[in-house]
Amino acid sequence: MEFIKNIMLTAFTAVIVENTVFCRALGTSTLLVAARKRKNLVGFGICVTYMTALTSILTYLADRIFSFSENSYIYVPLVYTLILGFVYVVTLLCMWKFAPKLFMAMRKYIHVSAFNCAVLGSMFLISKYCTTFGDYFLHGTGIGLGFVLAIYITAIIYDRLYSEKVPYAFRGYPLLMIYMGILGMAFWGLSGHALNY
Amino acid sequence: MNSENEITFKNIVFNGLLKKNPILVSGMVIAPVVVIGNSFMNALALAAAFSVITFFTLIVSSFVPKNIVYTIRIIMYTFIGSLVYVPSAILLSYLIPDGINAMGIFFPLLIANGMIISRSETIFFQESKGHMLLDMIFCILGYDAAVLLYGLIREIIGSGTVCGRIIGMPVVFSGFATPFGGFILLGLMAALLRVVLLTIKRVGKAEAGSPRGHTAV
Repeated sequence: MEFIKNIMLTAFTAVIVENTVFCRALGTSTLLVAARKRKNLVGFGICVTYMTALTSILTYLADRIFSFSENSYIYVPLVYTLILGFVYVVTLLCMWKFAPKLFMAMRKYIHVSAFNCAVLGSMFLISKYCTTFGDYFLHGTGIGLGFVLAIYITAIIYDRLYSEKVPYAFRGYPLLMIYMGILGMAFWGLSGHALNY
Repeated sequence: MNSENEITFKNIVFNGLLKKNPILVSGMVIAPVVVIGNSFMNALALAAAFSVITFFTLIVSSFVPKNIVYTIRIIMYTFIGSLVYVPSAILLSYLIPDGINAMGIFFPLLIANGMIISRSETIFFQESKGHMLLDMIFCILGYDAAVLLYGLIREIIGSGTVCGRIIGMPVVFSGFATPFGGFILLGLMAALLRVVLLTIKRVGKAEAGSPRGHTAV
Protein backbone atom coordinates (compact mmCIF):
# COMPACT_ATOMS: atom_id res chain seq x y z
CA MET A 1 0.00 0.00 0.00
CA GLU A 2 2.85 2.34 0.94
CA PHE A 3 4.54 1.50 -2.38
CA ILE A 4 1.43 2.40 -4.41
CA LYS A 5 0.99 5.60 -2.40
CA ASN A 6 4.59 6.60 -3.16
CA ILE A 7 4.14 5.91 -6.87
CA MET A 8 0.96 7.98 -6.99
CA LEU A 9 2.58 10.83 -5.10
CA THR A 10 5.70 10.88 -7.28
CA ALA A 11 3.63 10.72 -10.46
CA PHE A 12 1.33 13.54 -9.30
CA THR A 13 4.31 15.68 -8.34
CA ALA A 14 6.23 15.11 -11.57
CA VAL A 15 3.23 15.45 -13.91
CA ILE A 16 1.18 18.21 -12.28
CA VAL A 17 2.77 20.02 -9.33
CA GLU A 18 6.23 20.33 -10.87
CA ASN A 19 5.12 20.27 -14.50
CA THR A 20 8.14 20.46 -16.79
CA VAL A 21 6.75 23.14 -19.05
CA PHE A 22 4.49 25.28 -16.90
CA CYS A 23 6.64 25.35 -13.75
CA ARG A 24 10.17 25.04 -15.14
CA ALA A 25 9.60 26.09 -18.77
CA LEU A 26 11.72 23.15 -19.94
CA GLY A 27 10.99 22.22 -23.55
CA THR A 28 8.83 25.28 -24.27
CA SER A 29 10.41 25.83 -27.69
CA THR A 30 9.82 22.16 -28.57
CA LEU A 31 6.23 22.45 -27.41
CA LEU A 32 5.68 25.36 -29.82
CA VAL A 33 6.74 23.07 -32.68
CA ALA A 34 4.85 19.99 -31.47
CA ALA A 35 1.53 21.70 -30.72
CA ARG A 36 1.20 22.87 -34.35
CA LYS A 37 0.15 19.47 -35.69
CA ARG A 38 -2.45 17.65 -33.67
CA LYS A 39 -2.24 14.40 -35.65
CA ASN A 40 1.38 13.87 -34.53
CA LEU A 41 0.59 14.60 -30.91
CA VAL A 42 0.20 11.01 -29.69
CA GLY A 43 3.34 9.77 -31.45
CA PHE A 44 5.32 12.75 -30.27
CA GLY A 45 4.11 12.31 -26.69
CA ILE A 46 5.02 8.61 -26.70
CA CYS A 47 8.47 9.45 -28.11
CA VAL A 48 9.22 12.06 -25.42
CA THR A 49 7.98 9.85 -22.57
CA TYR A 50 9.91 6.89 -23.94
CA MET A 51 13.08 9.00 -24.15
CA THR A 52 12.75 10.44 -20.64
CA ALA A 53 11.94 7.01 -19.16
CA LEU A 54 14.78 5.18 -20.87
CA THR A 55 17.37 7.91 -20.31
CA SER A 56 16.39 8.01 -16.62
CA ILE A 57 17.52 4.37 -16.28
CA LEU A 58 20.81 5.08 -18.02
CA THR A 59 21.27 8.31 -16.06
CA TYR A 60 20.94 6.30 -12.85
CA LEU A 61 23.61 3.87 -14.05
CA ALA A 62 25.92 6.70 -15.20
CA ASP A 63 25.52 8.52 -11.87
CA ARG A 64 26.46 5.33 -10.01
CA ILE A 65 29.40 4.48 -12.30
CA PHE A 66 30.96 7.95 -12.48
CA SER A 67 29.76 9.15 -9.03
CA PHE A 68 29.77 12.80 -10.11
CA SER A 69 31.16 15.26 -7.60
CA GLU A 70 30.49 19.00 -7.15
CA ASN A 71 33.19 19.89 -9.68
CA SER A 72 32.17 17.35 -12.30
CA TYR A 73 29.55 19.73 -13.75
CA ILE A 74 32.07 20.41 -16.53
CA TYR A 75 31.89 16.98 -18.14
CA VAL A 76 28.42 15.77 -17.01
CA PRO A 77 26.73 17.23 -20.16
CA LEU A 78 29.18 15.22 -22.28
CA VAL A 79 28.16 11.97 -20.57
CA TYR A 80 24.44 12.78 -20.78
CA THR A 81 24.73 13.71 -24.46
CA LEU A 82 26.35 10.35 -25.17
CA ILE A 83 23.54 8.57 -23.29
CA LEU A 84 20.91 10.50 -25.23
CA GLY A 85 22.68 9.84 -28.52
CA PHE A 86 22.97 6.14 -27.72
CA VAL A 87 19.25 5.80 -26.87
CA TYR A 88 18.33 7.79 -29.99
CA VAL A 89 20.44 5.69 -32.37
CA VAL A 90 19.42 2.34 -30.82
CA THR A 91 15.74 3.35 -30.96
CA LEU A 92 16.01 4.38 -34.61
CA LEU A 93 17.86 1.18 -35.56
CA CYS A 94 15.31 -1.02 -33.74
CA MET A 95 12.41 0.80 -35.38
CA TRP A 96 14.04 0.61 -38.81
CA LYS A 97 14.68 -3.12 -38.40
CA PHE A 98 11.49 -4.30 -36.67
CA ALA A 99 8.86 -1.63 -37.41
CA PRO A 100 9.75 0.10 -40.71
CA LYS A 101 6.26 1.62 -41.08
CA LEU A 102 6.50 3.20 -37.64
CA PHE A 103 10.01 4.37 -38.49
CA MET A 104 8.77 6.13 -41.63
CA ALA A 105 5.91 7.74 -39.71
CA MET A 106 8.03 8.97 -36.83
CA ARG A 107 11.34 9.83 -38.47
CA LYS A 108 10.24 13.42 -39.12
CA TYR A 109 9.86 14.32 -35.48
CA ILE A 110 11.78 11.76 -33.46
CA HIS A 111 14.92 13.95 -33.43
CA VAL A 112 12.86 16.89 -32.07
CA SER A 113 11.42 14.63 -29.38
CA ALA A 114 14.85 13.32 -28.41
CA PHE A 115 17.12 16.37 -28.52
CA ASN A 116 15.30 18.99 -26.53
CA CYS A 117 15.52 20.73 -23.17
CA ALA A 118 12.72 18.59 -21.68
CA VAL A 119 14.59 15.30 -22.16
CA LEU A 120 18.07 16.61 -21.37
CA GLY A 121 16.66 18.72 -18.53
CA SER A 122 14.92 15.67 -17.04
CA MET A 123 18.30 13.93 -16.86
CA PHE A 124 19.84 16.84 -14.96
CA LEU A 125 16.84 17.21 -12.66
CA ILE A 126 16.55 13.57 -11.64
CA SER A 127 20.30 13.37 -11.18
CA LYS A 128 20.10 16.34 -8.81
CA TYR A 129 17.04 15.40 -6.77
CA CYS A 130 16.56 11.60 -6.96
CA THR A 131 18.46 8.95 -5.07
CA THR A 132 16.94 5.51 -5.68
CA PHE A 133 16.37 3.71 -8.97
CA GLY A 134 12.60 3.89 -8.47
CA ASP A 135 12.79 7.66 -7.96
CA TYR A 136 14.88 8.11 -11.10
CA PHE A 137 12.53 6.05 -13.24
CA LEU A 138 9.27 7.44 -11.86
CA HIS A 139 10.42 11.04 -12.06
CA GLY A 140 11.84 10.50 -15.54
CA THR A 141 8.58 8.99 -16.78
CA GLY A 142 6.55 11.62 -14.91
CA ILE A 143 8.48 14.47 -16.53
CA GLY A 144 7.74 12.95 -19.96
CA LEU A 145 4.05 12.58 -19.12
CA GLY A 146 3.95 16.13 -17.75
CA PHE A 147 5.39 17.34 -21.05
CA VAL A 148 2.71 15.41 -22.95
CA LEU A 149 0.01 16.99 -20.76
CA ALA A 150 1.44 20.44 -21.50
CA ILE A 151 1.49 19.78 -25.26
CA TYR A 152 -2.10 18.54 -25.15
CA ILE A 153 -3.36 21.54 -23.16
CA THR A 154 -1.60 23.87 -25.60
CA ALA A 155 -2.67 22.02 -28.75
CA ILE A 156 -6.41 22.08 -27.92
CA ILE A 157 -6.43 25.88 -27.96
CA TYR A 158 -3.72 26.41 -30.57
CA ASP A 159 -6.08 27.25 -33.46
CA ARG A 160 -7.98 29.80 -31.39
CA LEU A 161 -4.78 31.57 -30.38
CA TYR A 162 -3.93 31.92 -34.07
CA SER A 163 -7.45 32.98 -35.06
CA GLU A 164 -7.95 36.16 -37.07
CA LYS A 165 -10.36 37.34 -34.39
CA VAL A 166 -7.37 37.94 -32.13
CA PRO A 167 -5.76 41.42 -32.61
CA TYR A 168 -2.70 41.17 -34.86
CA ALA A 169 -0.23 42.25 -32.16
CA PHE A 170 -1.23 39.36 -29.90
CA ARG A 171 -2.09 36.73 -32.50
CA GLY A 172 -0.18 33.47 -32.22
CA TYR A 173 3.09 33.44 -30.33
CA PRO A 174 2.53 36.45 -27.97
CA LEU A 175 -0.88 35.17 -26.88
CA LEU A 176 0.47 31.63 -26.57
CA MET A 177 3.06 32.91 -24.10
CA ILE A 178 0.40 34.75 -22.09
CA TYR A 179 -1.79 31.62 -22.15
CA MET A 180 1.10 29.52 -20.90
CA GLY A 181 1.79 32.11 -18.23
CA ILE A 182 -1.79 31.94 -16.98
CA LEU A 183 -1.68 28.14 -16.96
CA GLY A 184 1.73 28.29 -15.30
CA MET A 185 0.18 30.44 -12.57
CA ALA A 186 -2.39 27.72 -11.91
CA PHE A 187 0.22 24.94 -11.82
CA TRP A 188 2.56 27.08 -9.75
CA GLY A 189 -0.22 27.65 -7.23
CA LEU A 190 -0.37 23.90 -6.61
CA SER A 191 3.25 23.79 -5.48
CA GLY A 192 2.73 26.77 -3.21
CA HIS A 193 6.44 27.61 -3.11
CA ALA A 194 9.39 28.33 -5.38
CA LEU A 195 10.91 25.27 -7.06
CA ASN A 196 14.61 24.62 -7.21
CA TYR A 197 16.37 24.23 -10.52
CA MET B 1 13.27 40.08 -55.66
CA ASN B 2 11.48 41.76 -52.79
CA SER B 3 13.85 44.25 -51.12
CA GLU B 4 12.84 42.88 -47.68
CA ASN B 5 14.24 39.46 -48.60
CA GLU B 6 17.43 40.66 -50.31
CA ILE B 7 20.68 39.53 -48.74
CA THR B 8 22.11 42.86 -47.66
CA PHE B 9 23.99 43.78 -44.50
CA LYS B 10 21.10 46.03 -43.45
CA ASN B 11 18.57 43.19 -43.83
CA ILE B 12 20.77 40.72 -41.96
CA VAL B 13 21.10 43.18 -39.05
CA PHE B 14 17.40 44.06 -39.11
CA ASN B 15 16.31 40.40 -39.29
CA GLY B 16 18.64 39.24 -36.52
CA LEU B 17 17.86 42.04 -34.11
CA LEU B 18 14.18 42.66 -34.80
CA LYS B 19 12.24 40.95 -37.59
CA LYS B 20 13.33 37.38 -36.78
CA ASN B 21 14.44 37.94 -33.19
CA PRO B 22 15.09 34.48 -31.71
CA ILE B 23 13.17 35.15 -28.47
CA LEU B 24 10.50 37.70 -29.29
CA VAL B 25 9.52 36.40 -32.73
CA SER B 26 10.77 32.82 -33.20
CA GLY B 27 10.32 31.62 -29.60
CA MET B 28 13.71 29.91 -29.44
CA VAL B 29 15.67 29.10 -26.28
CA ILE B 30 12.98 30.63 -24.08
CA ALA B 31 13.23 28.21 -21.12
CA PRO B 32 16.28 29.85 -19.48
CA VAL B 33 14.92 33.31 -20.29
CA VAL B 34 11.60 32.65 -18.58
CA VAL B 35 13.05 30.92 -15.51
CA ILE B 36 16.31 32.69 -14.73
CA GLY B 37 16.05 35.96 -16.65
CA ASN B 38 14.42 37.70 -13.68
CA SER B 39 17.23 40.19 -13.09
CA PHE B 40 19.64 42.13 -15.27
CA MET B 41 22.70 40.34 -13.87
CA ASN B 42 21.16 36.90 -14.47
CA ALA B 43 20.23 38.02 -17.98
CA LEU B 44 23.81 39.17 -18.52
CA ALA B 45 25.17 35.78 -17.43
CA LEU B 46 22.64 34.01 -19.67
CA ALA B 47 23.50 36.22 -22.66
CA ALA B 48 27.24 35.58 -22.16
CA ALA B 49 26.82 31.82 -21.76
CA PHE B 50 24.44 31.56 -24.70
CA SER B 51 26.67 33.64 -26.99
CA VAL B 52 29.86 31.72 -26.25
CA ILE B 53 28.34 28.22 -26.43
CA THR B 54 26.13 28.86 -29.47
CA PHE B 55 28.70 30.77 -31.53
CA PHE B 56 31.56 28.29 -31.17
CA THR B 57 29.30 25.24 -31.45
CA LEU B 58 27.79 26.55 -34.69
CA ILE B 59 31.19 27.45 -36.11
CA VAL B 60 32.61 23.97 -35.43
CA SER B 61 29.36 22.24 -36.47
CA SER B 62 29.39 24.00 -39.83
CA PHE B 63 32.37 21.82 -40.78
CA VAL B 64 30.44 18.57 -40.22
CA PRO B 65 30.11 17.00 -43.70
CA LYS B 66 26.61 17.16 -45.18
CA ASN B 67 26.86 13.61 -46.55
CA ILE B 68 26.57 12.26 -43.01
CA VAL B 69 22.93 11.35 -42.37
CA TYR B 70 20.90 13.89 -40.41
CA THR B 71 20.33 11.38 -37.58
CA ILE B 72 24.05 11.32 -36.85
CA ARG B 73 24.63 15.01 -37.63
CA ILE B 74 22.16 16.06 -34.94
CA ILE B 75 24.01 13.94 -32.35
CA MET B 76 27.29 15.43 -33.51
CA TYR B 77 26.01 19.00 -33.06
CA THR B 78 24.94 18.26 -29.48
CA PHE B 79 28.20 16.44 -28.82
CA ILE B 80 30.19 19.40 -30.18
CA GLY B 81 28.05 21.62 -27.93
CA SER B 82 28.99 19.54 -24.89
CA LEU B 83 32.67 19.75 -25.86
CA VAL B 84 32.46 23.53 -26.33
CA TYR B 85 30.69 23.65 -22.95
CA VAL B 86 33.84 22.44 -21.11
CA PRO B 87 36.11 25.47 -21.76
CA SER B 88 33.07 27.79 -21.69
CA ALA B 89 32.10 26.53 -18.23
CA ILE B 90 35.64 26.98 -16.91
CA LEU B 91 35.95 30.47 -18.39
CA LEU B 92 32.51 31.76 -17.41
CA SER B 93 32.66 30.23 -13.91
CA TYR B 94 35.87 32.22 -13.44
CA LEU B 95 34.52 35.48 -14.90
CA ILE B 96 30.93 35.49 -13.59
CA PRO B 97 30.70 32.81 -10.87
CA ASP B 98 27.48 34.12 -9.28
CA GLY B 99 25.68 34.43 -12.58
CA ILE B 100 26.65 30.91 -13.64
CA ASN B 101 25.62 29.47 -10.26
CA ALA B 102 22.27 31.22 -10.57
CA MET B 103 21.68 29.53 -13.93
CA GLY B 104 21.61 26.06 -12.37
CA ILE B 105 20.73 23.31 -14.85
CA PHE B 106 19.93 25.87 -17.54
CA PHE B 107 23.62 26.51 -18.16
CA PRO B 108 24.47 22.98 -19.42
CA LEU B 109 21.10 22.83 -21.19
CA LEU B 110 22.32 25.52 -23.59
CA ILE B 111 24.21 22.80 -25.48
CA ALA B 112 20.89 21.55 -26.86
CA ASN B 113 19.38 24.92 -27.71
CA GLY B 114 17.10 25.42 -30.68
CA MET B 115 19.62 27.52 -32.59
CA ILE B 116 22.10 24.62 -32.58
CA ILE B 117 19.60 21.79 -33.12
CA SER B 118 17.19 23.20 -35.67
CA ARG B 119 18.08 26.71 -36.92
CA SER B 120 21.56 25.49 -37.86
CA GLU B 121 20.13 23.01 -40.36
CA THR B 122 17.19 25.01 -41.64
CA ILE B 123 18.91 28.39 -42.04
CA PHE B 124 22.58 28.81 -41.12
CA PHE B 125 24.11 25.80 -42.90
CA GLN B 126 22.10 26.53 -46.06
CA GLU B 127 23.92 29.84 -46.49
CA SER B 128 27.42 30.69 -47.72
CA LYS B 129 30.07 30.82 -44.95
CA GLY B 130 30.31 34.61 -44.92
CA HIS B 131 26.57 35.13 -44.91
CA MET B 132 26.18 32.40 -42.27
CA LEU B 133 28.71 34.08 -39.99
CA LEU B 134 26.99 37.48 -40.21
CA ASP B 135 23.54 35.95 -39.81
CA MET B 136 24.70 33.95 -36.79
CA ILE B 137 26.36 36.94 -35.12
CA PHE B 138 23.29 39.15 -35.48
CA CYS B 139 20.92 36.36 -34.40
CA ILE B 140 23.00 35.90 -31.26
CA LEU B 141 23.17 39.67 -30.72
CA GLY B 142 19.40 39.84 -31.21
CA TYR B 143 18.98 37.17 -28.55
CA ASP B 144 21.36 38.97 -26.18
CA ALA B 145 19.70 42.36 -26.66
CA ALA B 146 16.24 40.89 -26.05
CA VAL B 147 17.41 38.96 -22.95
CA LEU B 148 19.09 42.02 -21.44
CA LEU B 149 16.09 44.27 -22.04
CA TYR B 150 13.75 41.57 -20.75
CA GLY B 151 15.89 41.00 -17.63
CA LEU B 152 16.06 44.73 -16.92
CA ILE B 153 12.29 45.27 -17.28
CA ARG B 154 11.54 42.15 -15.25
CA GLU B 155 13.86 43.20 -12.46
CA ILE B 156 12.33 46.69 -12.32
CA ILE B 157 8.70 45.55 -12.20
CA GLY B 158 9.29 42.27 -10.35
CA SER B 159 11.77 43.37 -7.68
CA GLY B 160 11.86 47.18 -7.90
CA THR B 161 15.63 47.15 -8.41
CA VAL B 162 18.22 47.69 -11.16
CA CYS B 163 21.33 45.49 -10.83
CA GLY B 164 20.31 44.85 -7.21
CA ARG B 165 19.93 48.55 -6.29
CA ILE B 166 16.53 49.70 -5.03
CA ILE B 167 15.11 52.40 -7.30
CA GLY B 168 12.04 53.30 -5.29
CA MET B 169 9.28 51.80 -7.41
CA PRO B 170 5.86 52.68 -5.93
CA VAL B 171 4.51 49.19 -6.68
CA VAL B 172 6.37 45.90 -7.19
CA PHE B 173 4.72 42.92 -8.92
CA SER B 174 6.74 40.02 -7.48
CA GLY B 175 4.82 37.54 -9.65
CA PHE B 176 6.86 38.75 -12.62
CA ALA B 177 9.98 37.26 -11.04
CA THR B 178 8.45 33.77 -11.28
CA PRO B 179 8.32 31.63 -14.47
CA PHE B 180 4.61 32.29 -15.06
CA GLY B 181 5.26 36.03 -14.82
CA GLY B 182 8.16 35.49 -17.20
CA PHE B 183 5.85 33.89 -19.77
CA ILE B 184 3.36 36.74 -19.49
CA LEU B 185 6.03 39.45 -19.83
CA LEU B 186 7.54 37.62 -22.80
CA GLY B 187 4.13 37.56 -24.49
CA LEU B 188 3.64 41.28 -23.85
CA MET B 189 7.09 42.15 -25.19
CA ALA B 190 6.54 39.97 -28.27
CA ALA B 191 3.26 41.82 -28.93
CA LEU B 192 5.01 45.18 -28.49
CA LEU B 193 7.74 44.20 -30.95
CA ARG B 194 5.07 43.21 -33.44
CA VAL B 195 3.51 46.67 -33.17
CA VAL B 196 6.94 48.27 -33.63
CA LEU B 197 7.64 46.13 -36.72
CA LEU B 198 4.22 46.95 -38.16
CA THR B 199 4.84 50.66 -37.62
CA ILE B 200 8.27 50.45 -39.28
CA LYS B 201 6.69 48.64 -42.24
CA ARG B 202 3.93 51.25 -42.59
CA VAL B 203 6.38 54.14 -42.39
CA GLY B 204 8.58 52.43 -44.98
CA LYS B 205 5.64 51.95 -47.32
CA ALA B 206 4.48 55.53 -46.84
CA GLU B 207 7.99 56.79 -47.60
CA ALA B 208 8.20 54.65 -50.71
CA GLY B 209 4.74 55.74 -51.88
CA SER B 210 5.04 59.46 -51.24
CA PRO B 211 6.41 61.78 -53.97
CA ARG B 212 10.16 62.61 -53.72
CA GLY B 213 10.50 59.81 -51.18
CA HIS B 214 9.30 62.00 -48.27
CA THR B 215 7.16 60.56 -45.49
CA ALA B 216 3.45 61.16 -46.00
CA VAL B 217 1.90 63.14 -43.15
